Amino acid sequence: MTEGLVVWVMLAPLLGAVTALLGKLLRPLQRPLSILGTASLAVPAVILTLLLGPVMSGESLRYALGGWPEPYGISLVLDGISWFSCAITTVIAAAVALFSLGRRRYEAGYFFFLLIMVAGMYGVALTGDLFTLFVSFEVVAVTVYVLIAWEETDTGLAASYKYLILSTVGILFFLFGIFLVYRDLGVLSISLISRALAEAGGVRNTRFMHLALAFLCGGIGVRTAFIPFHTWLPEAHAYAPHPISAMLSGAMIKVSFFALVRVVLEFGGTYLFELLMWIGAVTALAAVLSALAQSDVKRLLAYHSISQLGYVLAVFGAGSALALTASFSHALNHALFKSLLFLTVGAAVSFTGHRNIHRIPPLGRTMPLFSAAFFAGALSISGIPPFNGFASKGLITTGMEGSAAYPLLWVTSFLTIASFIKLSRIFLPGPRRAGTTPSSGNSNQGSVPGILQTSVVTVLAILCLGTGMFGGSMAHGLYRIIHGTAPDAIPRLFSAKKLLGVLPAVLLGTAAFVGVSTQWGRQIAGRIRRMAPELRTVLLFFFVGLLVFAVVAY
Amino acid sequence: MTWILICAIFVVGLWGITHQANMVKKVMGLSIANSAIILLFVYYGSLSGTTAPIEGSGDPMVDPLPQALMLTAIVVAVCVMSLALVIVYRLYQRFGTLDIRGVERGAWKLND
Repeated sequence: MTEGLVVWVMLAPLLGAVTALLGKLLRPLQRPLSILGTASLAVPAVILTLLLGPVMSGESLRYALGGWPEPYGISLVLDGISWFSCAITTVIAAAVALFSLGRRRYEAGYFFFLLIMVAGMYGVALTGDLFTLFVSFEVVAVTVYVLIAWEETDTGLAASYKYLILSTVGILFFLFGIFLVYRDLGVLSISLISRALAEAGGVRNTRFMHLALAFLCGGIGVRTAFIPFHTWLPEAHAYAPHPISAMLSGAMIKVSFFALVRVVLEFGGTYLFELLMWIGAVTALAAVLSALAQSDVKRLLAYHSISQLGYVLAVFGAGSALALTASFSHALNHALFKSLLFLTVGAAVSFTGHRNIHRIPPLGRTMPLFSAAFFAGALSISGIPPFNGFASKGLITTGMEGSAAYPLLWVTSFLTIASFIKLSRIFLPGPRRAGTTPSSGNSNQGSVPGILQTSVVTVLAILCLGTGMFGGSMAHGLYRIIHGTAPDAIPRLFSAKKLLGVLPAVLLGTAAFVGVSTQWGRQIAGRIRRMAPELRTVLLFFFVGLLVFAVVAY
Repeated sequence: MTWILICAIFVVGLWGITHQANMVKKVMGLSIANSAIILLFVYYGSLSGTTAPIEGSGDPMVDPLPQALMLTAIVVAVCVMSLALVIVYRLYQRFGTLDIRGVERGAWKLND
């Protein structure tokens, strides 16, 4: 009976999407139908809460769609990883949908695409076989292309095209990987593949399976956006509508990352860990350097998404059970604070009509609650106690103990602080009249955000604080969800040593900020900013990345 | 021989995506590369038998699964290609060119 519930996680947003689409036909009912569609997200939330018990005791629930058994039919699997992936999707999707409801400009069609995208993300999380994974990825992708270009700005359209080309090339290689798997093993179900590979004596003992794994990783890598597959992300996330940016950064890249984790673990690709760890660390550092150089507020945040994903990937590559928990916990925390940051900064952008960090007047007095929420997010991402970034970065430190890649992450942490000192000037309380008179003659100036939007960001800010204060028990619960057993010991998060460790990072961060503000620093920043790669370079990056994976596989 | 031909089609597609500046031709390249993957599955499936996968004829049937999978993949590809062409059309209306370099120069310049 409980297995039957799993399919409703996916069906509910699909039905919600249809409801929202009806609103396009029945104009007067547009708004109530959009609200009804959004309300369908409550169904997965309830089901996931109900199923938390079985998942925590290490069960994995299987549901065969249409009653067809495993080798032929499509099966949905709800285990720890997919439960967690669905949970993140639900939280962020609900926040984003409510935030969008607060702005009248988003109509029924927008909610239709948003809900289809959510259904696709549940599909990616729950699917039990590789081909359904491909289809779900494409469902997500098609809706994302539409949503990035939703406001039909020049930049939005160009970003959408760039993402379309790159991710379709990625998914072609993914499909090729599926072909290799089907040819050699004759099955597509992930659990059967895992069994077949175990019988063959591991993925390295087969002739082509490590190549297949490399292609699968490359295909998912484009969606997950780590170096060298990250190049679509800054534009796509920066020029999408603000709620969509929050959704992409908060949930979409995480869901793809969890798919990557599942594929790598089930294939037994432990030999990739070393590579993933280094890729993660380099991604974190390189992206934060680019972020520090940006002057466009949303591009800055987009680069931070790449950088924080580098953390998640690096600690996953460390490989221990605790490291996996740390990685997932940082994924959750990043989902919370990054969607919060995108929503608040997005509100500032649509309020003033400017995207440049130096043109946005200080808004602290005009939007006090938004500013407070922004600072909660900024302190989280900088890893300042007691916010959640501190908690998961503490776990990462323990998870990566003794690893050679850790210094890169440490440098990243204070550069993150520097770039958020730079960004936070837009939410400082300015002079009395500064915020109320944005530059005259500005046609696309918006209104102050409504009560619904304010409450969404407030709730997200409280969640950031809460997951930080109770970081220890969060990590404990997470460990049980992923591994099905209670952990031996979770390191203490708020020990004096760790609290003191924040101090030098803050000092170095301030120093780095001062360094960037000098004449010399600005010149370098300008040079980095102009390095935005063309589509052709981006594609070459992709092939090089694929080659690296294939070579490491051998 | 057939394998080599399929491989050649795939490479032609990829070459189109990377080396053509025209956005419509890039979409064509995607479509060609995608067809190569579809041919790959269908050709591999066709090696496993001699008749269509319908019960009762007595001859060894081909494996129906690759065909079923590729039907889905074709549908997905049609969606993506048509959406890509819509985006190209809109970009053409905005920038008055189909050259990706011109579009990128125009698009990323606006925002600083």
